[in-house]
Amino acid sequence: MRFILSFLFVVTVIPALKAQTPAPATSTTPAGNAQNGKKIFSNYGCYQCHGFEAQGGAGARLAPRPIAFTAFSKYVRQPTGEMPPYTSRVVSDKELADIYAFLQSIPQPPPASSIPLLSK
Amino acid sequence: MADFWGTVNNLRDQLVRSSRALTKKDAKLVSISSNDLYLKSNYQDFQRYTEVDLAIAADVEATLPSLIEASKRLVTADRKRVFEERGKKFAAAHAQALEQARTTATYAWDASPISTARLSAELWEVIKDKDWASVGGGAGRLWNVEKQYQTLLGGGAAGVGSGLPTSVGAALAHRKYGRFCVSIQNDGDFMYAPGAIWTAAHHRIPLLSVMHNNRAYHQEVMHIQRMSNRHQRGITNAGIGTKIEDPNVNYAMIARGMGIYAEGPITDPKDLGPALRRAADAVMRGEMALVDVVTQPR
Ligand code: HEC
Repeated sequence: MRFILSFLFVVTVIPALKAQTPAPATSTTPAGNAQNGKKIFSNYGCYQCHGFEAQGGAGARLAPRPIAFTAFSKYVRQPTGEMPPYTSRVVSDKELADIYAFLQSIPQPPPASSIPLLSK
Repeated sequence: MADFWGTVNNLRDQLVRSSRALTKKDAKLVSISSNDLYLKSNYQDFQRYTEVDLAIAADVEATLPSLIEASKRLVTADRKRVFEERGKKFAAAHAQALEQARTTATYAWDASPISTARLSAELWEVIKDKDWASVGGGAGRLWNVEKQYQTLLGGGAAGVGSGLPTSVGAALAHRKYGRFCVSIQNDGDFMYAPGAIWTAAHHRIPLLSVMHNNRAYHQEVMHIQRMSNRHQRGITNAGIGTKIEDPNVNYAMIARGMGIYAEGPITDPKDLGPALRRAADAVMRGEMALVDVVTQPR
């Protein structure tokens, strides 16, 4: 029984299991404001596909240990998969640096073995 | 992936939508479904026409056991060995996927809004020793599905609105077997036909409905975001007409108003397990119960 057919398509969900390459804090990583980054992550819709904690969802997990900044900004500007592009017209380089600082601020979670519901 | 078309095709949500067949060119497609019987009378189901070589309008549950036996009789000793080898690979891949799912679940484990993995793990803890059946929202990756009646596909074509009434109907079908029915209920879907709750109360249909409440028609939020980005405008406006907030809906209050047990909104993951257990007790007494959980988007 269908009440509303909102869209006649099924969107492919990319599992959020991509291997994360840890990013060394190199000179190419600009300084950013993590607090503002957290706000932008929400306002610009990154949270929709990546989760409020960047843990992944419809899109990949982005943190902790985000990919290197150059790869990060390149992907946001010119994604190759299902992710929509954010050009510099809508998200400035400064804002990207803030988002990146937010991702870097997210701590490593405890291991599954230390969480009773996940360790059996 | 719920319907036949979505199983054998892939579609990308872009400005110019392209779809791609996932099957080999010469693959023969056969469907066995009661969907073909829904084209008249009170309950109807329309969606993208499914191109199949052979459409069999039949009851799947009645058909599959004999179809499986018939297929088994065609299996030669050679093929049997191939299947056994393949089975071992699947078992290893499954064990690895489960381990990976557990690790994935640790991310945002203590977050508020509550992560969907946390919701799934807390719910599994409540149902795992019961004769359970999922009647909506599927089974989590952390769940152990062993019986054919334990899952139910959602409405086809990513349609919204059928989840709640379907879960009540399916729970009614399970009732005579004494199974513990559970549904993960999306908030957007709830908004279409909440009256189904009253039906469950009136007919004493036991069902644990746990809300995946991301306060949005979230599939639409993501779609609008994709389109805004591609047009390079309005990227902060994806929530207009798609988010369900200001005011937030108090789903537990609506459910209590329809005569069932309800708790929530639950925002602290520590409160979730106890709330689910209390609601499960109500279901064991033969009622529907609802727990409203405020969640991460997906
Ligand atoms: C509509 C969904 C959607 C939105 C909104 C979105 N993403 Fe993505 N993102 C994805 C998907 C899906 C992937 C996985 C790869 C792919 O299919 O493009 C991804 C991948 C990425 C990657 C690559 C990760 C890796 O490990 O290679 C980065 C970086 C990223 N997103 C950052 C962002 C940022 C920052 C924002 C907000 C400014 C954002 N995304 C908004 C869906 C989205």
